[in-house]
Amino acid sequence: MIRSHRWKWLVTAAAFSAGVALVATACGGGGGGGGTTAASAGGSTTGGTSSGKTFANFNIAMDQGTDYLDPALSYTVEGWGVMWNVYLPLIGYKHVNGPDGATLVPYLAQDMPQVSSDGKTYTLTLRSGLKYSDGTAVKASDFKNAIKRDFIVDSPGVGFFGNIVGADQFGKTKKGDISGITTDDASGKITIQLAAPQGDFENILATEFAAPVPSSAPQKDTSNNPLPSTGPYMIKSYQPNKQIVEVRNPNFDAAALDNNVPSGNPDKVTWDIIGDDNVALQRVISGQDDWMSYHPIPTDRLASVQQKYADQIKVFTPANTYYFFMNTRVAPFDNLKVRQAVNYAVNREALVRIVGGLGQTTENVLPPTYPQYEKHTLYPYNLAKAKQLIKDAGATGAQVTVWNHDRGIDPKFTAYLTDVLNKIGLNAKEKIVNSTVYWTTLGNQATKAQIGFADWFQDYPHPLDWYDVLLNGERITQTHNNNYANYDNKSVNATIDSLKKEPSLTPAVNAKWKALDKTIMEDAPWVPFLNRQETDFFSTNVDLSCYENHVLYEFDYATICHK
Amino acid sequence: MADRATESEFTLDTAAELAAAEPESAAIRGRSPWFLAWRRLRRNYIAFAFLALFFLVLIACALAGVYARDVAHTGPNTNHILEIVKVNGHSQSVLSSGGYISKSTGKACQSGQTDCILVSSLPIAPTWFSGGGKFVLGADQNGRDIAVRLLYGGRNSLIVGIGSSAICIFFAVVLALLAGYFRGWADFVITRFFDLFYAFPVVLLGIALGSALAINGFHHWGVNIQSGSLWIPTLVISYVLIPYVGRPLRGQVLSLREKEFVEAAIAQGANPLRIMFADLLPNIASSVLVFFTLIVANNIVLEASLSYLGAGVQPPTASWGTLITDGQQLIVTRPWLALAPGIAIILTVLSLNVFGDGLRDALDPRAKVKVEH
Repeated sequence: MIRSHRWKWLVTAAAFSAGVALVATACGGGGGGGGTTAASAGGSTTGGTSSGKTFANFNIAMDQGTDYLDPALSYTVEGWGVMWNVYLPLIGYKHVNGPDGATLVPYLAQDMPQVSSDGKTYTLTLRSGLKYSDGTAVKASDFKNAIKRDFIVDSPGVGFFGNIVGADQFGKTKKGDISGITTDDASGKITIQLAAPQGDFENILATEFAAPVPSSAPQKDTSNNPLPSTGPYMIKSYQPNKQIVEVRNPNFDAAALDNNVPSGNPDKVTWDIIGDDNVALQRVISGQDDWMSYHPIPTDRLASVQQKYADQIKVFTPANTYYFFMNTRVAPFDNLKVRQAVNYAVNREALVRIVGGLGQTTENVLPPTYPQYEKHTLYPYNLAKAKQLIKDAGATGAQVTVWNHDRGIDPKFTAYLTDVLNKIGLNAKEKIVNSTVYWTTLGNQATKAQIGFADWFQDYPHPLDWYDVLLNGERITQTHNNNYANYDNKSVNATIDSLKKEPSLTPAVNAKWKALDKTIMEDAPWVPFLNRQETDFFSTNVDLSCYENHVLYEFDYATICHK
Repeated sequence: MADRATESEFTLDTAAELAAAEPESAAIRGRSPWFLAWRRLRRNYIAFAFLALFFLVLIACALAGVYARDVAHTGPNTNHILEIVKVNGHSQSVLSSGGYISKSTGKACQSGQTDCILVSSLPIAPTWFSGGGKFVLGADQNGRDIAVRLLYGGRNSLIVGIGSSAICIFFAVVLALLAGYFRGWADFVITRFFDLFYAFPVVLLGIALGSALAINGFHHWGVNIQSGSLWIPTLVISYVLIPYVGRPLRGQVLSLREKEFVEAAIAQGANPLRIMFADLLPNIASSVLVFFTLIVANNIVLEASLSYLGAGVQPPTASWGTLITDGQQLIVTRPWLALAPGIAIILTVLSLNVFGDGLRDALDPRAKVKVEH
C-alpha cells in the first residue's frame, strides 16, 4: 500500500495473480506444520486501555488521501488509519508502540485461529454477545458476508482471499457461496478452508477487508452512509474532502474483547480535511487542531517548529522502502551490468537530503523495521565503476525514459536519477505523469516503462507483503502489475513459494528471508534508496506521554491524552 | 514637418492635421499610416523604455548557455546535492545535512541526546558572485543552480510565449478572413468553433489538453510530438486562444468587407484569396501587430500557470512556471526560489504590455484592442 490513492491489487489483477499463486503453491506440495506465526503468538492485553484519561474532542488536520470509508473499499494508509478503531476484524494487532505492534491478538474472535496440521484449515469462534453500534448482533456469518461483499463491490482486497477454496469461482460469478468458508451463527464457529498453506493468512484475516459487516450492508460503497461499527468508535458523518466525525460506539465493551482493543480516550474525533501542509501546521500551532495527520511538517518550517515545539514532535520510521525499479524485460535494463551500474551510480545520501534528511539510506528491499532485515551494501557509490559497466554492456547512449508521478517531493528523486543516468553515459529523459493514473500506467505491460520511481508501505507486517507481491515473477500480470521490474528469477520464485508455506516466522525462516533479500539485489532489479522517516506534530494541548505509534496503522488516536 | 514644440503636445497626428501644419506654399505630402504610427510611437519614451527592458530579458535568456558554461560552470539540470562550494573563503554544502544533528559538532546524532536537534536539509542561499559565479541566486532542493535555471527557464517561457502567439495569430487571422469575407455558412461554422472554445475557461481547457498530452505526447496524422516537448505547451496555448484573437478580427473584417475598395476589387474580378490577403489583411495589420505584442505577454503568463499546475512545460525542463512550483516548497526559508521567476515574469509581461499599449496608441489611437478571457 502507498500513501494514499494507490491500490495494490485491483480486482482483475487480484483474481489472476491469486490464481497463479494458488497453482504455484499447490504445485509446490508439502505442508507446513500447524500452529500460529511467531508474530501472532499469544498476548491478551495491551497498554492501550483508557484508564480514566477520557476527554471531549480530538481534532485532526487530515490530508486529502482518504479514498473510501468503507472497509471493503478503502486501500490507503489514510483510510485504514481512520477505520482501524471502527471496523474490527476477527483478529488484529496489539495497540502498542514498536515491533510488538506486529503481534496479532484476538479481536472479535475468542482466540487466535486453530490451524490444522496441513496448514489449510483455520478455525475461529466469534465471541458471544457482540453488537454493532446500531444494536444488531454480530454473527459468525457476517465474516462470510464481508468476504463475499469484497468480491461483489470489486474490493481492491479480493486478491488477499484468492487462496480460500471457492473464492475465485465466487469472484467470477459473484453468485452463490464461497464453499471454503463455513459459519455457524449459533456457536459462532467459523471455518476457513485454504487451497494451499499460506504463511501470512492470519495477517490477511487482520486486514480491514476481513472485518465482519452486517448481512444488511449494501453491496456498494457506503462511505457517505457508513456501516455500523464494532470498534470503540463509529463514523457519525463523512463529508468528502471536508470532514469526518467519529463518536463513541455505545455498544462497545473493551472488557468483552479482553481489552485487546482500547475503549478510547477522546469522546469525539474530528478529522478536518486540509489540503495544504502549511495550513495544517498553522491549525495545529494555533490549537485549532490537535494533530497533523499524514501532513509532513513543511521542510522549511521544520527548524522553527523544532525550536518552539520540540516536545510536540515525534519522528518515526514506518515500514516503507522507496526505490527505482528497472524493467528487466526492456533494454537496456535487461542487461545485469546496466542495472548494477545504476545501483553504483546512485548516491543514496543525496536522495536522503532531498527529503530534508528525514530518512535512512538503504540497499535492501525489506525495511529495517522487520526482524527479517539484514543490512547489505552490495553497491557502494562508485560513479567510475558505473560508467565502466555501461561501456562494458555496450549501452552507451541508450535512450531511457524515467517515469514518475507529479505528487509531493517525489519528482525530485527522478530529477536526480535522470541526471545520474546521463552522467554514466545513458541518454535519459523524464516522463512525469499525473499521480491519479501513474500506478495503473506503470502496471500496464503495454507501457513498457523502463525505469522509474516507486515506493511501498506495508499492507501487513510480513515479508510476503514485499517479496511475493513485488518481486515474485509468478505474479506478473498484464495490467495492474505490481512487479514493475518484471523480475522473474525462477530460483527466487521457488524460494518465495516455499517460504509462503512456512506457518511461523522462526529464526531459521527469517534467515532464509534475509538471504533472499541479498540474492534479489545481486540481480539488481531495483535501486532501493530510502526508508523515509515521518513526523507527527501535535498541539500543546496534547499529552504525548500517551503517544503510541503502531507499526502498521501509525499514530493511535484512540489512546492519546489531553493535558 | 511639425516643429519639436508641436510634437510634444498631445495630438492624434492624423494625415489631415499634418497637412494643415504644412506651410501653405509647400506641396502636401502623402503620409502613410505606418509613417504616422511611427511619429506617434517615437514620442512615447515609456513604451521604448519598456521595449528596451524586454530586449534585455530576451538577450539575457538567449545567453543562458554562455552563462551556464562560462560563469556558473554547470547545466540547468545538473544536480550538485552533496557538493561543497567556497563562498567568501568558507566551505558551504549546496544542500545542508538534515535529520537529527548535534548543535555542537554538526554531525548526525540520536534523538534524545543533549544538544541534538531536528533540522531539515536546505539549499544554499544566493552567493551573489561570492562563490566564483556558482549559485549566484542559490540552489534548489536538487542542488541545481537557480540562476542558470532562471535563464534557461526564461528562454523556454519566451519560446513558448512567442511561438504560441505566432501560431495563434496565424490561425486566428486566416479564420477571421475566411469568416469575414465569405460570411454565410463559412462564418457560421467558424463562429460556432469560436463559441465552442469560449464555453471553456482558458486555463481549464489548457490543463485538460496539456495533462492529456503530457502522458503520451501527440502521435496522429503523421505528426509525432513526444511528451515533454516544448511543442506541447506551445500548441496547447495557441490552440485555446485562437477564438480570443479571431473573433475581434472577424468583426473588423466583416466591417471592411462592406467598404467600397472591396466592392471595387470584386467588380474588377479579383479572386477571394487576393482580396483577403492583399486588400483586407493590410487593413487589419495594425490590430494584428498590437494583438501579437499583447498576446505574447498573455501567453507567457498562461504558460507559467499551466507549468505551475503541471500541464505545461514538464520537469526537469525549466520554465518560469516550474521554477515557481519548485520554489514554493521553500517559500519561508528560501523565498527567492519562487520570487526570482515571479519577478522575471512580472518584468517581461509588464514590458510587453506597456509597449503593446504604446504600439496600439500609435497604430490606431481610437482602437480598443485588448485580450480578454
